[in-house]
Parts: sequence; structure tokens; C-alpha cells
Amino acid sequence: QGVTIIKPIVFGNIARYFGKKREEDGHTHQWTIYVKPFRNEDLSVYVKKVQFKLHESYPNFNRVVTKPPYEVTETGWGEFEIIIKIFFNDPNERPVTLYHLLKLFQSEADVMLGRKSLVVEQYDELIFQDPSALLQQMLTTLKPITLGAYKHEHNFEEKKENTIANLNTAKTKIRNEISDLNERLKQTREAIGKFNEEISKLEGPDERIDT
Amino acid sequence: MQSSSTSDVRDILEIDAPDNSEFITKDALFNNKNKKPIKKVESTFKKPEGMHRELWGLLWTDSRDPPPLMPTDTHQGYKQMKAKIGQSKVRPWKWMPFTNPARKDGAVFHHWRRVADEGVDYPFARFNKSVDIPTFSDVEYHQHLHDEGWTRAETDHLLELANRFDLRFIAMHDRWDEQQFVKRSVVDLKERYYHISNTLARIRSVPGQELKIRVYDADHERRRKEQLDKLFNRTPEQIEEEEYLISELKKIEQRKKEREKKTQDLQKLITAADSNMEARRSERKATKKKVQQQQKIREANLNPESTSIKFPDFKQSGVSLRSQRMKLPAAVGQKKSKAIEQVLDELGLEHNPMPTEDIVTGFNELRQDIVLLYELKLALANCEYDMQTLRHRFETLAPGKIADIKNLLPAAPTSVGTLGEKAVEESPPKPKKIAETIDVVGPTNPLSPVKKRRAALEQGNILKKLKAKS
Repeated sequence: QGVTIIKPIVFGNIARYFGKKREEDGHTHQWTIYVKPFRNEDLSVYVKKVQFKLHESYPNFNRVVTKPPYEVTETGWGEFEIIIKIFFNDPNERPVTLYHLLKLFQSEADVMLGRKSLVVEQYDELIFQDPSALLQQMLTTLKPITLGAYKHEHNFEEKKENTIANLNTAKTKIRNEISDLNERLKQTREAIGKFNEEISKLEGPDERIDT
Repeated sequence: MQSSSTSDVRDILEIDAPDNSEFITKDALFNNKNKKPIKKVESTFKKPEGMHRELWGLLWTDSRDPPPLMPTDTHQGYKQMKAKIGQSKVRPWKWMPFTNPARKDGAVFHHWRRVADEGVDYPFARFNKSVDIPTFSDVEYHQHLHDEGWTRAETDHLLELANRFDLRFIAMHDRWDEQQFVKRSVVDLKERYYHISNTLARIRSVPGQELKIRVYDADHERRRKEQLDKLFNRTPEQIEEEEYLISELKKIEQRKKEREKKTQDLQKLITAADSNMEARRSERKATKKKVQQQQKIREANLNPESTSIKFPDFKQSGVSLRSQRMKLPAAVGQKKSKAIEQVLDELGLEHNPMPTEDIVTGFNELRQDIVLLYELKLALANCEYDMQTLRHRFETLAPGKIADIKNLLPAAPTSVGTLGEKAVEESPPKPKKIAETIDVVGPTNPLSPVKKRRAALEQGNILKKLKAKS
């Protein structure tokens, strides 16, 4: 017990503009929604199925994918939120839900003209806290997906380094300001005390006359 | 279906079992233990729609009997319809004389009494109590009871009146011989009388026996009566003023409590900020191992404070997403979460950074610090506002003297509050402070400075008045 296994994943969508509006149904883009492992590891060892819940206007909008690649390709004209549910091979483990806003439009020229695909993806981590023996065994069995290089569209390692660096600078900045404000707060408090003292000194004599 | 309907028929016909179905006996017809048919009736007796449950309960109780259609009072509930009175013999009354032992003159009166009671003592005689008024000899008087303000004759007069009116001091006071003696108040009479009786009781007391002393504090009585007089003689205006003052006093006390609470909160905040700074200092020096320890200590220090955000612990087993661990708890209010967003924007950070372990921890810590900064700024704004108010007050009280304590004031506050403009002029090329991006929505007190000042002056006056009153 006390075992924690972390499996990073990447999920998102690719979209490509047709270049024009399709006559029959008015669709403008082809897109693919997907969930894939961050490292070169086969998800199907421990993932039973992935369910993609599309917009209700799609026929059969609850798409279930039982083996890799976990993805759904469709065409459409609008953006909407896709609910992704990952089910695990261990029946005792509850499914994990991810939300992804399907992205089709972007202002970049190449993407707009349909020469380049738009890729919008996010990094997240599945945290398995105290998995069952069965699940633990599945999680530690590593099977590569491909023998070649496994790469993502985005450089997440670089992004991670940048984010950490930014966070640290931000933290220092905030803490400096905290101590600044704290000092000023203390001074102001002292000043208030001083004023109060002086005022009561000045008001004191009147009161003595009154009583 | 079939079988159930036949059994129903059987039930209705009160035929218990098929074997004795050939004969319908008298027993079966007038069966006393026919529980089944009753059950059938019951099921048809549903609560009518719309009838209140309480009313239904009255009609149909737990015994599940249907409500009776006719009064069924066959018991002998009220056997005796009439009370039996006037059965005993008449006890005759008689007009007879009596004497009241309370009367010394032995006068005879007549009244109606039962014959049986003839010769018995007058029943009200037992209420005739007389008071023991102490007496004293000349020697005792000269030794113990002499008083400058009282002559012997006056004292005798007092005791005589006490005897006559059984210590009813109001009556005694009324009959006091004002021609012969000085006019005395009720309290004076009582004071003298109790002094005499107590002194006599003391000198005559037998050692070992309990001494019975009646304490009479004449001064206290005089003051009490004076106070009651004053209370009674108040004019409506005075009563009104008093009520007003009391309500004002309550307000003042409430404000004082609020202020104290505010000061406490402020102190908490400063402590939190201090521990934050300490953590930073030690973080710089310490090795990585120590950092973690320090962080733990810091978290332990900060978490109980109201200032920081409390992120939930994920301890239970099962799968979860890392990104869930940096969700702001709902307990963080809208103002705070908005402030956090503003600061994050200013720092150029994402609202939802990439969720790795380090980033989530760092991001959560950062947001805790931001909240602390926000609260500090809020507190500072309030404090500076208060200081301005006091400063105005001081200037009205002692015009031109502000320079004397000016050096005690914080050196040119940088941005927040009303002194902001000055600061900007003095220090031009300075990077923008992060705290400036936080919108502190004014001091929480809605009063304007002038109004607040006036309120403070009024409060002072009321306090003076209250003092004068008491």
C-alpha cells in the first residue's frame, strides 16, 4: 500500500478546414478527437475502453472505442465540448472523465486556408492511488506502441520547464510584495496608534472638565 | 385469476374450507372469528382523495375498523346521571353573641354561626398578632441609647407610636407629633427604632444564643428613595434622551467589538505574512531536503489561518486526474478568485497550467500567496483610510501641529489609498506593482471620510454626556 502510479496522457483534437463549405450538409471541417499516452506506452494494457460523447446532433453521439488508437474522426461546422470517459480494465476502478472543447477555428493564416491542420491538445496525469494488485500489475507492464520515435505536436517538456521557471519568478515577486505590504501595514498600524494617543491627549482635558 | 375469484366468492359467502362447504351452518353465518370478510371491507375503505391525514386518522384508527355509522355507546359510561346532594341532615344556624379577644374593652357583638360551633373561640382571633416593642430602663437609655439628635421624650414618643400602630412606620410618621418635636422622615424613624431594638438585643443577649439583629442601612434607604424619586420625576423628554443615549451606547460598544475583531484579524494576517517571509528566507539558504520540511512547516502554519486557500487532500485510493488538484475550492469567494485571475494575468501565467506534480504544488502555493497579498492589501487600504480619518481629526483638534508627529508616519506610502498621487510623482520609473492590479473594493465601511469623522465626533459627545449622567 501507499503505492502511487502516475500515467501522463495527452488529449485534444486535430482539425482541418475543407477550404469551403460542403454543399450537402454545410460542414466545413474534418476533425479528430483523441486520447493518447504521453510516453511510448500502450494504453490498452489497462484501459478497457474510451467513450467520447459528441454533440447530440451527431448520429450515435456516444462513441465507444475499445482499442487504440483511441480517437473519433468526424466532420462538422461548429465547436462544442466533448466529454471523454476512460474506463479501466479493473472493474473496481471508476472511470475518469476529461472535458475537451473541440477547437476548429483559429486566426493563423495557414490554418484558416486549410493548408495546415490545427492541433489543440492538453497534458494531464492519471494518478492511481493504491491500485489493486491486478491493476498495479497492468500498470507496470509496459508495452511500447511504436518502435520508432514517439513525438507529440507540442513540446510538453519545454512547456513544463518554462512554467516552473515562471512560477518561481512569480512566487518571488509575490512574496516580496507581501513583505512590503506587511511592513507598510505595520507602520500604518503604529501611526494609527500614535494618532489615537495624541488625540486622546488633546481630548483628555475637555473630558475632565465635563465630569 | 380463476382461483382467486373463486376464493373471493368463498370469502364473501364466508365458506372457510371446501370440506364443510356442503352445509352452510348457523355457525358459519354468524361466525365471530370471521376475519377474512373484514379484511375485504377494509381494502375497499381507502382514504378519499383530498382528505387530510389527521382527519382520516380520527375516523379510522390503527384497529383498522371502519368508522361507526351510529353512536355505539353501549357501555355504562355515565351510570349516575345526577349528583346526589342534600342527602345529609340540615345543620342549623343561630344568631349568637361573641367577643373579640383583640379588643380590650370586651365589647359584645352578634353574628350567625352554626349551632355546633357555639361556645368555640372567635375564629379570626388567631390573626390578632401584636408586635413586641422593646422597653428600656433609664440606666439602659443613658448608657447605650443616648443620641445627640434625639431627646428622651422624642424616643418615648416613637416607641409609643410603634406600640400603637404595630410598627406601621407610614402610619407612625403620619401621627408624629410635629408640634412638640422636630419633623422626621420615615427613614429617620426607622433608623432610630432599629438602632434601639438592635442595641437592646445586643446588651441583653445571652452568650451562646443566636443574636437577632435587623440590619437597617438608613443611608442606603435614603439614596434609594432619592433615586426612585428622580426616576419618577423624569420628564418625557428626559426619558427619551435616556433611551437614545442607551441605544447609542450599545452602538458604540458594538463598534468597539467590531474594531477589536478587526485588529485581531489584522494581527493574524501579519503573523501569516511574517511566517511567509521566514519561509522564504530559509528556503533560500536551505538544501532541497530542508525546503520540503520547511514547506511542510509553513503549510502547517498557514493552513489554519483564514487567509490561505485550503486545497483538498487526495488521500483516498482510486484514479484521479492531476488537474483536479489545482481546482480552486468553492469556499474561495468570487472576489478572491477574481483577484487571483487578475494577478495571474498580470504575471503572464496561465489560469490552468500544465498539470505536473511540481507545477500543481507550485501553482497552489502561488495562489495561496496571492490570496495573502490580496488580504494584506485590503487590510492596508482599510488601515490607511482609518489613519486619514484620524489625521483629519487631529488636524481639527490641533491645527498646524501635524508636523510634530509627521515623522512618525510611514514614509510616503507608495500606492494604495488616497496618498497615491504623491507617491507616483516621487518615484517615476518603477516596475508596476503586482498588488496594484488587485481591485480592492473600497474600505468596507460605506461612510465617507467626512461622515465618518462626524460620526466619531458625535460618538465623543455621547460618551461625555453619558459620563456626565452617571
